[in-house]
Amino acid sequence: MKKSLLIISTLFALLSCKSDRKNTEKQSYSRWVGDIAQNEKIDDVTFKVCNGDSQILQYFNLGQGPVYTGEKSSILNTFKSKYETLSDSDQNGFIRLRFIVNCEGKTGRFRVLQSDENFEEIEFDNKIVNQLVTITKGIEKWGIFYRQDDPIDYYMYLIFKIKDGQLTEILP
Amino acid sequence: MKKLSLILLVFSFSGLFAQPNCEAYKYQGNTLKYEACIKAMEAGKHYQFSKEYQTILDESLAIDPTFDYAYWAKSIAYLKSGDFVTWKKLIDKAVELNPKEHLGYRGWCRYQFFRDYKGAIKDIEKLDSLVDYDIGQGQNGTYHLNIAKGLCYKGIGEKEKAIAIIENQIKLNEAEDFVGAYDYLHLGVLYLETERFEQAIELFKKQSQNNDLAENQYYSALAFLNLDKPTEYKSSLEKARKLYKEGKQISDPYSNPMDKIYLEDIENQLKKVSKNINDE
Repeated sequence: MKKSLLIISTLFALLSCKSDRKNTEKQSYSRWVGDIAQNEKIDDVTFKVCNGDSQILQYFNLGQGPVYTGEKSSILNTFKSKYETLSDSDQNGFIRLRFIVNCEGKTGRFRVLQSDENFEEIEFDNKIVNQLVTITKGIEKWGIFYRQDDPIDYYMYLIFKIKDGQLTEILP
Repeated sequence: MKKLSLILLVFSFSGLFAQPNCEAYKYQGNTLKYEACIKAMEAGKHYQFSKEYQTILDESLAIDPTFDYAYWAKSIAYLKSGDFVTWKKLIDKAVELNPKEHLGYRGWCRYQFFRDYKGAIKDIEKLDSLVDYDIGQGQNGTYHLNIAKGLCYKGIGEKEKAIAIIENQIKLNEAEDFVGAYDYLHLGVLYLETERFEQAIELFKKQSQNNDLAENQYYSALAFLNLDKPTEYKSSLEKARKLYKEGKQISDPYSNPMDKIYLEDIENQLKKVSKNINDE
């Protein structure tokens, strides 16, 4: 039983790594650029936004810049200690992991976007992507933003710059 | 009320919205561009991320597919949501149609949002080669584009080149009494990193007269430490901590700027101070 649960959750994790970007030509837009709808097949069903999808803001909308629990240095330290560089890797480019932080500082609806150094879409070695997804999902508490004393839900992302398989920068 | 405050909030951080002069197209007899421009202006009342904003700009491009402004305006939400793939396609169209207008912007964004140092350098240098006027500030107004270019050279490890570029731009900025909020700090850090400690301290002093920051005091402390001045080292760290707690730090609404430090960095240095005192 435990084993089958593990397999299912691994499958979900892999599925959620697929890119969600659509062609920009003649597309029908969502409420806001980059909105992520809940997908029961890949998203954690226990994750809930507190104020409804129509009220989800962007991390910079409150003018405080990106906020991390324990400052960005804690994120940098986490990746520094947990990310294992692939030996002999010639992989270069950018990986963005975008997700929602809810009013409790919990995260869900992770989506991955990957490109080479010239911002052309590519797919990185899964060993790199899966590590980044797993480490990010393992960060338990994110900054909570308040609007007039009420905690809000917001979109956050991490962009990882990869050079020869090494993690050289984490943005924003 | 809540909805109104959301709108106000979102708009106040939607960045600069440099509007083109539609009447100029009319005057030039470019009717198509004039109409596309008038249509695009309708987008101004909507949030950059919204369906309405994007749709109006698509309609503007349907009128005139060469209206670079609309591509640029569409690209912003993708930039800010970190969708570098779509952003790049849109901003490339704007640059292709009007390089003088958009190269500096694309270069700046490559630096600010993606730390794409090489790409930023290429764009800023290309712009410089195309025009005979001052290439001006980066989009958020904090840096002259040449300062940003210098920081990009530092990003790829070419520190001497970075120093030469930033020294030169600061001289020009001083002549116009228009030194950027963090210019001295960045140059001081470059001096510190290349072991020119006295010069570094001189720059940090200038920065503190202009706009003192936790970073400024923190890096001053490191320079004092190298010059074997423990009293100044300690007092600078204490000043750094105070400034940090007062929120006087290098900042940007979208990202963590280069040379930013964290409270942890200051505390770690202070621990060293108390350890040294205990050891004595």
